[in-house]
Amino acid sequence: MKNKYFPVFLKKISIILIIGLSFSSCDNYPNEIPNHEVTAQWADMTLFITKNTPANSPTFASRCLGYMGLAQYESVVHGDLNHQSLAGQLNQLESLPLPQSEYSYNWLIVLNRSQSLLLKSLYLQTSDENKLKIDSLENRIYKILKKSTDRKIASQSIAFGTELAKAIFEWSKSDGGHRGYLKNFDQEFRREPFDGSWKPPLFAQSFSHKPLHPNWGENRTFSPKNTLLELPTYITYQTSKESDYYNQFIEVYQKEKNLTKEEKEAAIWWSDDPDETFSPGGHLYYITNSLIRKNKPSTITSAKILAMVGMSVADAFIKCWKWKYHFFTERPNTFIPEFIDQKWESFWPDPPFPSFPSGHAIQASAAATALINTFENNTELIDSAHVGRERDHVRNIEFKARSYKSIWEVAKETADSRFYGGIHTRQDNKVGMEQGAIIAKNIINFNWKK
Amino acid sequence: MYRRIFLLLCFSIFVKVQGQQFTDITNRSGIDHYFEVYEGMFGGGIAVLDYNNDGFEDLYITGGMQEDQLLENLQNGTFKNVLKTARLESVLRFVTQGVAAADFNRDGWMDLFVTTITTKSQKRKIPRAQNLILINQGDGTFKNNSKSFGIQRIESFSTGISVGDFNLDGYPDLYVGNYFTDYDGGLKEISDATIVNAGKTAKGYLYENKGGKRFKEVSEKYNIDHRGFSFGGIFTDFDNDNDLDLIVNNDFGYKAKPNYLLENLYPKKEFQYVGENYEMDLRINAMGGATADINADGFLDYFISNIRYNRFMIQDPEKNIFKDQAEALGTQLFTISWGANFNDFDHDGDIDLFVSNGDLNPNCVPMYNFFFENVNGQFKEESTKFGLKDYGVGRGSAIFDLENDGDMDLIVVSQKPIREYGPPSITRLYRNDIEEGNYLQVKLKGNASTLSAHGARIQVFSDSLFINQEIDGGNTSHLSHNSTLAHFGLGKRKIIDSLKVIWPGGEITKMNQIKTNQKIFVEETQEFKKRRSNLIWWLIPISALGFYFFIRNKKKQHKI
Repeated sequence: MKNKYFPVFLKKISIILIIGLSFSSCDNYPNEIPNHEVTAQWADMTLFITKNTPANSPTFASRCLGYMGLAQYESVVHGDLNHQSLAGQLNQLESLPLPQSEYSYNWLIVLNRSQSLLLKSLYLQTSDENKLKIDSLENRIYKILKKSTDRKIASQSIAFGTELAKAIFEWSKSDGGHRGYLKNFDQEFRREPFDGSWKPPLFAQSFSHKPLHPNWGENRTFSPKNTLLELPTYITYQTSKESDYYNQFIEVYQKEKNLTKEEKEAAIWWSDDPDETFSPGGHLYYITNSLIRKNKPSTITSAKILAMVGMSVADAFIKCWKWKYHFFTERPNTFIPEFIDQKWESFWPDPPFPSFPSGHAIQASAAATALINTFENNTELIDSAHVGRERDHVRNIEFKARSYKSIWEVAKETADSRFYGGIHTRQDNKVGMEQGAIIAKNIINFNWKK
Repeated sequence: MYRRIFLLLCFSIFVKVQGQQFTDITNRSGIDHYFEVYEGMFGGGIAVLDYNNDGFEDLYITGGMQEDQLLENLQNGTFKNVLKTARLESVLRFVTQGVAAADFNRDGWMDLFVTTITTKSQKRKIPRAQNLILINQGDGTFKNNSKSFGIQRIESFSTGISVGDFNLDGYPDLYVGNYFTDYDGGLKEISDATIVNAGKTAKGYLYENKGGKRFKEVSEKYNIDHRGFSFGGIFTDFDNDNDLDLIVNNDFGYKAKPNYLLENLYPKKEFQYVGENYEMDLRINAMGGATADINADGFLDYFISNIRYNRFMIQDPEKNIFKDQAEALGTQLFTISWGANFNDFDHDGDIDLFVSNGDLNPNCVPMYNFFFENVNGQFKEESTKFGLKDYGVGRGSAIFDLENDGDMDLIVVSQKPIREYGPPSITRLYRNDIEEGNYLQVKLKGNASTLSAHGARIQVFSDSLFINQEIDGGNTSHLSHNSTLAHFGLGKRKIIDSLKVIWPGGEITKMNQIKTNQKIFVEETQEFKKRRSNLIWWLIPISALGFYFFIRNKKKQHKI
């Protein structure tokens, strides 16, 4: 008799087990996620979207990094006793939504929500597939955080994150760069040529022969002080040998003839072509994220450093473009074939915009200055940003991880790499580095703490 | 009196020797044309065709924002634009780019394929449009058969067209280059996402001609899956195995996708990427090209036009690689090149080279065209001496025989400069007045092959001379289609010892002891075999099966 009923019992147990297991298999999410990983995973996603959205540009990418970094900080700042919102300090931003004092929040859920919504808003032009990827990350992180969060708190946090993202996005729309990807190359742009003026490149990165975003320099900076920076100085045009101007270009010419393997690798590594990568600004955001993962700082520190770097890079590009179009200077590929060697060609192709000052230098210096404000300058780091990329066939260079002994070394190599690439002179880099540091200090000097 | 006549004679001889070797007869020829760009640098081209079968070569020139022209050769060195009487008005709606000619439906009349980038009526946010097939009706008119040929649905940004019977069925197939991504079914909705995607690289079209009635896009079937900013391909038999391979020219090869060399694996329905092995994966701004066996070793070589320095790819058949010999051969001059045409313009028994140059509109720095005279295997730039030093914004160029006088003349399309520009920039016709040396012209008539025998090889032997020429399928040069007339300069030779035609597929026609200074006509002996439709092989078993079930059913009913 027992034997007769045992299978029925087993069958029931099995069904219960299967149902139980299937329920448990619905939730493959871990029970927790380190705080710094939430910020880092959103930085990863920001970089993924930057890299995988067509018609990307270094200018537009830097702008988004500024807002995404700021949104990280504003999402968690009210949960920290020592820090305060930047509303009222940022250019034309009087206020941002405040959390309700009677409510409790999970600040990481706020961050998770605001990052997702803002990224989809800023990158309105990204593919539906990419938008699903953003939703998927939001959903995954939310599922983990929800496990240790009261339902009501989770719901209030989502509402606040939504409100915050909407407010930042609304503010962003008036900065001059909103949907800037639609006007990368203004067909109506015209500048009368003059001695030493920029000419569209023949060895070019872009098929457009109009320069990129000629009005980007008019955009609103994050820091009001950065709007008011004075013009740097530029060496006067001269073609005579021994002149300072000529020497700038002969130095580029001679360097190209004697590039070492290391210098070639640096030139390729930092090229950060926006058509294929997350652009120069994204590269520094990536390094910031590597330092966050390595040092595992608190949530507020992680978010703050992403905000500082993002906004420094964004302001650096605005100022850089302001000055590029003010001076409208030629690249070595214009001067050298005309006055030194007609057959000369730079190691790396020209980007579609004027030379002075170097965008790579200014933004790398700005980012490094912001980073050094949080991490020690002598922090050693390994940069794996382009590991796994197919080698550069034209120049036969592999993409291998690079090591640095200090943060400033990263900035210096970023700037030098453009000199090795033959697309910038030393003065482009020098002024870029100097101005980048000034721009970042104006971001660092916000009253971040109460 | 005699002294005066003598002096006059001497002066005439002097003028002949010292004067221009080509004469610019644009004004007196009745050609009034320039190409107007839509935005920036793209277009235009010329196709040479005898559209009315009167034995004189006519021209079709694309106009971009201007009107295209069908120029009927009036047999006296002048032309008449007959575009409208030929009922080609439908092209006027489009911003045209390139053109090629072939008898697509094998009715004995030359048809046209024209590429476009957008329509003229309204400025589109994303410029795209369908391409056009214009079928010659044999009565001086054409009919736009794009719909029935099945190409109307796709809106593309198309460039160069090459004609070649890659599957050896006798119908002219096509490779059409695309620069930016296309839209099958047209652009229905324009969002920010579609706008940012519009500037991406594109796939080209490998069009298989299905019985002269429609084109089927078969690139996937034939294992062609690359993308690129392409100015199209060139059908050519680079490996001498009697089928047509494909060279694809891509702009921004150093950044986006390089040039591709695709080996036709006929009879397998497959092309194989062999560019890296042959070192033909050029990573340059490849704009166009020209084909010739420049060192007479039996294997074809290729001139690829580029920004700054062109490439002269000489084939090494022992190592199975190509090497750039531009510097060694003397053609490495700084410029921006588009069209290129090989021909023995001066009939001295070696092959010269014309190169059409022009800035990237709207940049407007004048740069002159090149004429490289072949002097003992070295190329010397002699555009001034030969009267070809034009500073127009050059693009496509083509060679043809204007007056059936045995030498090859030249037409070069120029763009209207967007900005102020010193020299005039118009399409120019140059009559070849060199009158040196002997020549032979060969006109092939394909039967098993396409009517013009695209891709056929003609080899001429005359004492120490060996010339090896491929019949042009189009898009050698830039967006253009040269004459399909084979032309050989022979110097002082009066007799050709032998002439060999290698028809696509490998059939050979041989001829001996041919007198020079004439045009000969050679017809393919192998007959065209119309392939039976595959449908019949499906219909037979299906019908048999149907019949079986019908009988079985009947029997069952009978039993009931």
